[in-house]
Amino acid sequence: MDTSELHVTAELAHIELTDAETATLAEAVAQMVDYFARMQELPVDDLPPTTHALLTRNRLRTDTVRPDSKADELIEAAPDVEDRFIVIPNVL
Amino acid sequence: MESYWKTLLTTPEAATNYRDSVRDRDHDLGAFLEFDPQRGCTAAGDILAERNTETAGDTNTTDDARSAAWAGVPFAVKDNIAVTGFRLTCGSRMLEKFSSPYTATAVQRLCTLGAIPVGKTNLDEFGMGSSTDTSALGVTSNPWDRSRVAGGSSGGSAVAVAAGMVPFALGSDTGGSIRQPAAFCGVYGLKPTYGAVSRYGLVAYASSLESIAVAAADVDTTEAVFRAMRAVDEMDQSTIECPADLADASGAADTTLRIGVLGGELGLDPAVATGYQGAADALKALGFPVSAVELPTIEYAVPAYYTIAAAEASANLARYTGIRYGLRPDYAENPEELVRTARDQGFGPEVKLRILLGTYVLRSGFQDQYYLRAQKVRTAIRNDFDRLFGEIDVLLMPVFPTPAFPHGDAGLTPFQQKIADRFTTTANLAGIPALALPAGVEAGLPVGVQVLAPAFHEHRLFAVARALAQRLPRATPPDYPPLWRKASE
Repeated sequence: MDTSELHVTAELAHIELTDAETATLAEAVAQMVDYFARMQELPVDDLPPTTHALLTRNRLRTDTVRPDSKADELIEAAPDVEDRFIVIPNVL
Repeated sequence: MESYWKTLLTTPEAATNYRDSVRDRDHDLGAFLEFDPQRGCTAAGDILAERNTETAGDTNTTDDARSAAWAGVPFAVKDNIAVTGFRLTCGSRMLEKFSSPYTATAVQRLCTLGAIPVGKTNLDEFGMGSSTDTSALGVTSNPWDRSRVAGGSSGGSAVAVAAGMVPFALGSDTGGSIRQPAAFCGVYGLKPTYGAVSRYGLVAYASSLESIAVAAADVDTTEAVFRAMRAVDEMDQSTIECPADLADASGAADTTLRIGVLGGELGLDPAVATGYQGAADALKALGFPVSAVELPTIEYAVPAYYTIAAAEASANLARYTGIRYGLRPDYAENPEELVRTARDQGFGPEVKLRILLGTYVLRSGFQDQYYLRAQKVRTAIRNDFDRLFGEIDVLLMPVFPTPAFPHGDAGLTPFQQKIADRFTTTANLAGIPALALPAGVEAGLPVGVQVLAPAFHEHRLFAVARALAQRLPRATPPDYPPLWRKASE
């Protein structure tokens, strides 16, 4: 895999790569992708894909209101909070 | 379970002694990222109180818990499973200071029986690794030889049990993460059927593959913990009801079960080959009908597994942005820079590798070639197991081709570690249960083997393990004899 491919992928994944990381990760990703090519040996065209091994249907909860909010704790877990707002750098 | 486990937390003084003994023992091993029995007692009390509030009128739950079978029994929890009052780090800088406001369903169910979560164990970062060495927050070593790894990713949980600090520990198993460290440390390690145990409160890595799992010192405890955790949970839509005729099926030793022993070219280290052969011979000697079988699709398990796991990881770990929780960089010019910097500083190299790999295989134009193909290979592997389980009841397989390897460069490279997941990843791809069990000690290191059965047939695994335990009793590491047995005798 050339490094430009890796940079496109990193951009999509919101990951910043230093030059040193680019070198080692390009090699490591390429090694795995080459290894994935082994799957081409197995004839699977007629098989349906498995998304979950055993799951046959969704499990749904009843649509009822319950007093089970962890909202305050969840907001407090944010690294930067003002009142009940989570603070981020300026968008514009 | 030995009765002394129930005496360790009965008074504040006893709890302090327990805490000090474990911290002292763990100093050289690094099983725990946090160990605090007192905080665990508070967490368990809060869970029971909350439960009482929810089940108004049923005020006996706390009393039930006090008198329950496991009243006061301590257990450890892998640090990718939520317990209120403890941090939930996933072994990552990203979550180093994060605490969960809620507790995993599996932990809640054990607390309801009186058990107490006493600490959080080290792991490979977000469960990604086979050594626990990818943790950003500590080093965990094997109690049989501290120059060697504990295995992973549930390395801390396996060490906590192997070194006698707790009778059992929860872990997770996405591609072998409970079974491989269990084999490396010489304990039992159960990966349940996919969906049998709720994943609510387990930090997601590869959602279609992973289960909450158990490491324990004996078969009885492994089975009891599994049965206590197994339940449909409205908080996890992927939980599946155990068929009624299997729910109470006995796990008593049963030597009529037909055993298939995986044959062919397995590429095992000589010590592991000896242990594996020994387990097969022991099964024959016990009277089990034993035959050699093959699983041709195993050659494709690792590429299919890493394609699917990386793809799911890239989606699951997209939530770590440094905005709502987790590591926040000191300064960022704009939100995009904030996200990139948080992920750069928060994730280690193995996590970045898997996110990049997963993003790559899901990129437009590559999906059919990798992800879709891997899902079809997954179907082929399931079909292969279905065929096998028409002929046999239980499959015996190695866990990992080598015993515990050394820390660092003297051990296996990250790529070699991934290739070596060939035996364990099959069960996750097929969603079936698998139990790693001790098969002796070779050259000073434990060797494990695993047994696999069809979905929801865990009882068969316990039946085989109980019979085998007569011939292959679990050994304890010479440097870490049981801490409390003498005091209670």
